[in-house]
Amino acid sequence: MKRKLSVLLIVAMLVTMLGSCGTASNNKGGKNNSKSSGNALTVWCWDKNFNIYAMNEAAKIYQKDHPDFKLNVVETPWDDVQTKLTTAVTSGQTGTLPDILLMQDNALAKNITNYPKTFVDLTNSGIDFSKFAQYKVALSTVNSKVYGVPFDSGTAVTALRTDVLQKAGYTINDFKNITWSRFIEIAKDVLKKTNIPLLSSQAGSPDLVMMMLQSAGTWTFKGDKLYISDNPALLKAIDVYVELVKSKVLVEVNNWDQYVGTFNTGKVAGAMTGCWILASVQANKDQKGKWAVTNIPKLDGIENATNYSSVGGSSWLVLSTSKNKDLAIDFLGKTFAGSTELYNTILPTSSAIATWGPAGTGSNYEIAHEFFEGQKIFQDIVEYGKNVPKVSYGVYNYEARDAIGTAITKIISGTDKAAALKEAESTVKFQMGK
Amino acid sequence: MNARFKTKFKLSTIGWIFILPATLLLLLTKFWPIIRALVLSFQSGVGLNTSFVGAKNYIRMLHDNLLHTSIFNTFFYLLLQVPIMLIIAIILAVILNDSRLKLKGFFRTAIFLPCATSLVSYAIIFRSLFARDGFINLILMKTNIINNPINWLSSPWPARIVIIIALTWRWTGYNMIFYLAGLQSIDPSIYEAAKIDGASAFTSLRKITIPLLKPMILLTSITSISGTLQLFDETKNLTNGGPANSTISISQYIYNLSFAYSPQFGYAAAVSFLVLIMVAILSFTQMKVGDRR
Repeated sequence: MKRKLSVLLIVAMLVTMLGSCGTASNNKGGKNNSKSSGNALTVWCWDKNFNIYAMNEAAKIYQKDHPDFKLNVVETPWDDVQTKLTTAVTSGQTGTLPDILLMQDNALAKNITNYPKTFVDLTNSGIDFSKFAQYKVALSTVNSKVYGVPFDSGTAVTALRTDVLQKAGYTINDFKNITWSRFIEIAKDVLKKTNIPLLSSQAGSPDLVMMMLQSAGTWTFKGDKLYISDNPALLKAIDVYVELVKSKVLVEVNNWDQYVGTFNTGKVAGAMTGCWILASVQANKDQKGKWAVTNIPKLDGIENATNYSSVGGSSWLVLSTSKNKDLAIDFLGKTFAGSTELYNTILPTSSAIATWGPAGTGSNYEIAHEFFEGQKIFQDIVEYGKNVPKVSYGVYNYEARDAIGTAITKIISGTDKAAALKEAESTVKFQMGK
Repeated sequence: MNARFKTKFKLSTIGWIFILPATLLLLLTKFWPIIRALVLSFQSGVGLNTSFVGAKNYIRMLHDNLLHTSIFNTFFYLLLQVPIMLIIAIILAVILNDSRLKLKGFFRTAIFLPCATSLVSYAIIFRSLFARDGFINLILMKTNIINNPINWLSSPWPARIVIIIALTWRWTGYNMIFYLAGLQSIDPSIYEAAKIDGASAFTSLRKITIPLLKPMILLTSITSISGTLQLFDETKNLTNGGPANSTISISQYIYNLSFAYSPQFGYAAAVSFLVLIMVAILSFTQMKVGDRR
């Protein structure tokens, strides 16, 4: 009896030990080669088919003129980029940091404000920022200094199943340049006729509301002051979201996989978020030729409301602890801020839509996309991108987004809107230490 | 006299040398960071710009609604989950200790196995089991217990219940092993005597097993309580603290303060010390209550 028990315990011990060995070796993998020699750069980014691929293609282009150049991409998930950056900077162990890292636009202002000396000010680096979509430059600008080279576009799109629309007697053009009230009207009709909702979202995620907020050119902060409970665009956006949920034209799910599953399986006939979602939309080949893309609805009765917005997206930052700062800047300047060829190469496989204006002239941008009924979606999206209102996300963006997400969940389950938003405001104020 | 002292000195020196490496490592990797964290908890500021603010961080906790929510959630898990889990663990241990039971080894391994799974992967599996179109809803719908699918993870109370179910599934086997080990040391003749005296199975469980297992119960409840107070993986991966922060645990709040939000390490360290104080108080009371000799 005792022997059996001890065997069991030993097995358990071995399993846990194996488990910890696994994690230990992973950590080592992330840490290696952070010290670059004179002509090599280390980069942190996270998606093999997307930004890692783009980085490697950029290296190939740069190597044509600089044969000695070496690039070492360390695959680092975004959450890890943030924790590693925070720990390295606060503990003073900056030797572990790379030369270039990719940062979510959502977190950019926060990190630059908190660690101003960690990132290189690129304003006078020779990179021409006027050629980028201006909303992207605004997101990587802190205290009128530009810190980031914009990468992928988060331009918001409405992607819809044309076959479902057809059954209900609509086309994609019925969704172009419309308002939210019209959208809900059509969506209800489609739901009635086909029993298929048009949208889905992750419960508790404020993405859709934040998208509407930016489409009206405002955000949760006005200068340094919180702009939540008295922000008419936010109040309107929350009304719209609640109505979407209550009228059942939007289905709430629990996590990202389920969200992507809703439209891949055809349970939901559309997606509305940053244009990077189009890569996931194309996952189900059976739906080929049954999708189309248009701009997003605008908020009714709100000043400066537009049909354009942005969700997500990321930018490249150069670290001031790097020994090869000049090389890093030159590399980014000649590739992500200077090579039509690069953006043209990466577009077909990664669907990474450029925010660098001249890239739109690349031949691949004119492709009539088979999946989207032959629509020239890339060109359309680049056009939308030119109209996205400029906002600044600010240092306390995550705090504000979380608080608004919480408020939305509470409002849907019956809490008074004004009270929930007041609470959100006081939560954010508390997090800010005020 | 002198020789005796010498041997004693020699023996204790050898003893010290043996425990020295472990002690030094412990001091360096555990106690030094704890002391630094204590110093940090008296500092405030965002990112790198911190300064000493005295007890401000500790006073701040009194007004922090999100912290209060996370404490409420954590204690809800604690008060409901720990007793349920320990009772199930005792019952399972007693059943599996029965000498007449066949395939004992199989059952023991099966019940212990959840404990060997990774915290993250089991949380993800539970997440898909309890999805709106997941397995649990499917079973409940097919058996006509419910008509409409329950959105488990999107409603506050069901989400908390799912976390309790997940925790119980993962940790019951672990505690059962302790009880099994404890049961081995109970002399079977005590049970035989009780049986002759006409004691029922329940009476002998209540009057013999539980009193004799007391040290084990004390140990498992202290480890479970301290484990639950530091709960992180399950809430982070199952619900990510949602909906509307209704499942967020204290540890996840500390993580958010340090890494998701604009880093406030001083305040995060202060909250960590609050957890330390809570674990210390709870363990101390338990030792006092449990150790009535």
